[in-house]
Amino acid sequence: MLQTWVLVVQAGRRVWTRNYWSSKGTHISSSLARRLWQQTYITKAADSKRGEIDISTYPPDRIRNFSIIAHIDHGKSTLADRLLETTGVISKTGKNRQVLDKLKVERERGITVKAQSASMFYEHDGQKYLMNLIDTPGHVDFSYEVSRSLAACQGTILLVDAAQGIQAQTVANFFLAFGEGLEVIPILNKVDLPTAEPERAALQIESAFEIPTNNILHISAKTGLGIDMVLPSVIEKIPPPTGSADSPFKALLFDTWYDKYVGVVCLIAVKDGAIKRGDKIVSSYSGTKYEVAEVGIMHPEQKPTTQLQVGQVGYIACNMKTVAEAHVGDTFYKDKHPVEPLPGFEPAKSMVFAGIFPIDAGEFDRLNESIQKLTLNDSSVSVHKETSAALGQGWRLGFLGTLHMDVFRQRLEEEYDANILMTSPTVPYQIKYKDGITKFIRTPSEFPNAIVMQERVESTMEPFVSSTLIFPEQYLGSMLELCSTHRGDIQTHTYLDESRVMLKCKLPMAEIVTDFYDRLKSKSQGFASFDYEEAGYARSDLVKLEVLLNGEPVDALAAVMHKSSIATAGRDIAKRLKDVIRRQLFDISIQTTSNGKVIARETVKQLRKDVTAKCYGGDARRKMKLLDKQKEGKKRMKKIGRVELPQEAFLSVMTKSQE
Amino acid sequence: MNLGRKTPLSIYVHWPYCSFLCKFCAFSKARVPLGGVEHERISSALLTELKTVLAPHSDKTLYSIYFGGGTPSLAQPRHIAQIVQMANKLVPLAASAEITLESNPTSAEINKMADFKLSGITRYSIGIQTLNDQVLERMGRLHTGAEGLAAIDRAKQLFPGHVSCDMMFGFEGQTTSEWQRELETVLDHADNHLSLYQLTVEPGTPLFRDLNAQRIKLPAEDTQSQMYETAVELCSSRGFRHYEVSNYAAISSAESVHNKGYWQDRQWIGIGPSAHSRYTDPANGQRIHSVRIPDIQRWAQSCIDNGHGTGKVDLISSLEAKQGAVVFGLRMLDGLSNQRFMSISGGQPLTEYLCMQSVQQHVQNGYLKWTNGSACLAPTEKGLQVIDSILLDIIP
Repeated sequence: MLQTWVLVVQAGRRVWTRNYWSSKGTHISSSLARRLWQQTYITKAADSKRGEIDISTYPPDRIRNFSIIAHIDHGKSTLADRLLETTGVISKTGKNRQVLDKLKVERERGITVKAQSASMFYEHDGQKYLMNLIDTPGHVDFSYEVSRSLAACQGTILLVDAAQGIQAQTVANFFLAFGEGLEVIPILNKVDLPTAEPERAALQIESAFEIPTNNILHISAKTGLGIDMVLPSVIEKIPPPTGSADSPFKALLFDTWYDKYVGVVCLIAVKDGAIKRGDKIVSSYSGTKYEVAEVGIMHPEQKPTTQLQVGQVGYIACNMKTVAEAHVGDTFYKDKHPVEPLPGFEPAKSMVFAGIFPIDAGEFDRLNESIQKLTLNDSSVSVHKETSAALGQGWRLGFLGTLHMDVFRQRLEEEYDANILMTSPTVPYQIKYKDGITKFIRTPSEFPNAIVMQERVESTMEPFVSSTLIFPEQYLGSMLELCSTHRGDIQTHTYLDESRVMLKCKLPMAEIVTDFYDRLKSKSQGFASFDYEEAGYARSDLVKLEVLLNGEPVDALAAVMHKSSIATAGRDIAKRLKDVIRRQLFDISIQTTSNGKVIARETVKQLRKDVTAKCYGGDARRKMKLLDKQKEGKKRMKKIGRVELPQEAFLSVMTKSQE
Repeated sequence: MNLGRKTPLSIYVHWPYCSFLCKFCAFSKARVPLGGVEHERISSALLTELKTVLAPHSDKTLYSIYFGGGTPSLAQPRHIAQIVQMANKLVPLAASAEITLESNPTSAEINKMADFKLSGITRYSIGIQTLNDQVLERMGRLHTGAEGLAAIDRAKQLFPGHVSCDMMFGFEGQTTSEWQRELETVLDHADNHLSLYQLTVEPGTPLFRDLNAQRIKLPAEDTQSQMYETAVELCSSRGFRHYEVSNYAAISSAESVHNKGYWQDRQWIGIGPSAHSRYTDPANGQRIHSVRIPDIQRWAQSCIDNGHGTGKVDLISSLEAKQGAVVFGLRMLDGLSNQRFMSISGGQPLTEYLCMQSVQQHVQNGYLKWTNGSACLAPTEKGLQVIDSILLDIIP
């Protein structure tokens, strides 16, 4: 359940509110909330009448915009906590645990889903600096968001766990930052661990990224060791933002969220000019005009300032109604002063689709509301209503990737107590028709039938990814095998040091959306890391696998896949269905077919006996209760013709066989 | 039997002690205590309770009394006689009333058989369970197969035409042909009635724990079905009519009057710890289901203190009553007559209560049939075998 700490602060004439929200247990404690309240209140009283602070004394050369990039669990959030403490943004209670990761799922999974940023004031060599730490989502699903966050910085800290060395995500993040032209400062973390091998990790950094590591910082974010060297290093090595105070206002929108009280909040990096409350701004992408209601910095919560000027990073609230209006990567300019939009903008693109259905059809409305609420804060989820003959009314949701999907599902279940059935995820395939038209298909039901395929389809295409796998060399054999069983095209494998291998492999995206990651982890005993980036579409022989129960197709069990997978998948799915379908009063034939050809056939034999042996006086009540329970269970079954299909049937086709 | 005009009533007497505890038994029971059963305390509590709970039903006629348990053949015959006499005094027994005693085929109990007959018992039911001595031992039963057969032979002399025996099938390791041979032997000795149960693993029993811990493995589902089918065929070939899921009778008068009462919605009063009752409250016409306190000592104390040991009383809604009538009625191959159903439903006919689309489908597929010119809905032999699935389809 969400707990909301609402702080009301009387500042000047205006009552304004803050909400520190978090999930039960691990979250911002009430004492922290109280402390933040005191801090906020005290700072307010000292500032201008409206409670706005003035940061106009920080020109670009007194500003550093930087991020931290790291593999999962390499200590990014802990380092952020230490930096916030060092600069007094949060107090040193020793209780700050990943202050920037606010979602429960973020803490549980050790990942950052929603980037959070914070501004810090720091004195170095007698000069005051405004340091903006721009957090980045830590997962490949959000690589576009990462790239936009990086575009708001001039440099980044590449944080590497000295015990684990560089991992696949380190590599992917490095190249993203490198691609943005950022200054990269490698730092070795967790050097206090007995298993730390800083020299080896440094060597890996040099061989993978060709950057010198002679003066590399050795720190322990956990103990605070070497932390005081981090910000000076950032100031000295990362260049200040460029841009002109006299040019018309131009800003990059790189993050956004929904705040119950002020509506949509946009995080921006001001590239030129300045902005203040009351200014009218325009979105380059949509052309929509907005009036700025509030500008400020994240300190670590929203704190209004008199203005935001060139080089600075902060938030604006401008009466946007939904997050869908705020497009990450968009450029804002002042009304009547259009500018050239910043490069790199792409609208959100769904890479994984899955059907979501309420288990109890009566919960449709409630689920509808929950999905709406969740997407209010995550415009990257695409939502389409979908009706399945087998599962009834539901939605087809598009996600940036599988983690994004899992997080969404988890939040739906945990925060909204939703009881849902999710169909097997699919990727957006492309169908090229002979008349030149290209269509995307989100769901197997959109896949052309055999006749259309033959007469009108020119080719079928599927999305690919370029992946990086890093693992100890003893797993080379099993990793190569894993890639080849997933139709991977192995490009290179290189040694990062004497024992660690980096494998580059092109994989169909469809192969990694189900259980690739789990199998990678199990085959390497957890030692392999994996990351990828999109690599466009390529021709692929795609076919649709259908499941028929007593001759009737079950739309929710259909899947699109590569021709080479069909025989195994067909046999596998038929077998699994046989295991979960209960015997009924007639034989149930399970067929998997493709293009009208039967691939596998199984039969659930007719129920031969189903009768309670003893039923006398004392059994009456129990028998009736059992009957009621069975009737309830029957209601939850999905009926395909006369065949009753349990929920497990849908789950059973979601994972690939373990061979 | 003289049906008369009075409302029929049955009595169930729960005698809670056993000399040994069977691994499969889920009934409420206790092993005979070290110092022996307090016969006087139990029987006086039973008599007190009987007097209290039977009093309001004096305008009915007793069709049957059934001594179950536990092991009621461990009771003293004179106490059984007292209960029968007391019941008859409160509610007159019909002329041909059936008074059954359940027993185990141990020599001690066999020796008491004649005394039970003198106590008023008219029907003797013997728990043979199996003729396989190893299985008997494994199940915790302290008698042999030979003793089982000897008990039948002895009972036939004392209660000719009124002896029943219980058998079970589906024990670990048992094959269909073994079961068939066993049943053939039992049929050679049997009187007019047999109850043949598939071994059912009830939660809370030692058997259930053994199965869950995978210490034992029961025959495959298809083997169990085969055993059931074997029972049906073999009994039929020997002239025993299959009249309920697990019950067979050589002549219709041998069918258990008492048990048919459960399946045909008759009222009954249960006494003794954990006994259930189902009756219509004479005061207000409410259908009642009640359960006596299960703990023997607490039940006995309550009988002394309050005159009865009732633990729980529930009203039976009209919906429950209708559902019950169908669930129990369709366990019998004679089925459920529309007339009987309407007496329970307050005039609503079966065709208006059941999901008729499903009923028709099952009739077409040969699982159900309308008999007596559509006056009665009954399962076919094939339908009875899967009646639990069918009930789920046809009950709304």
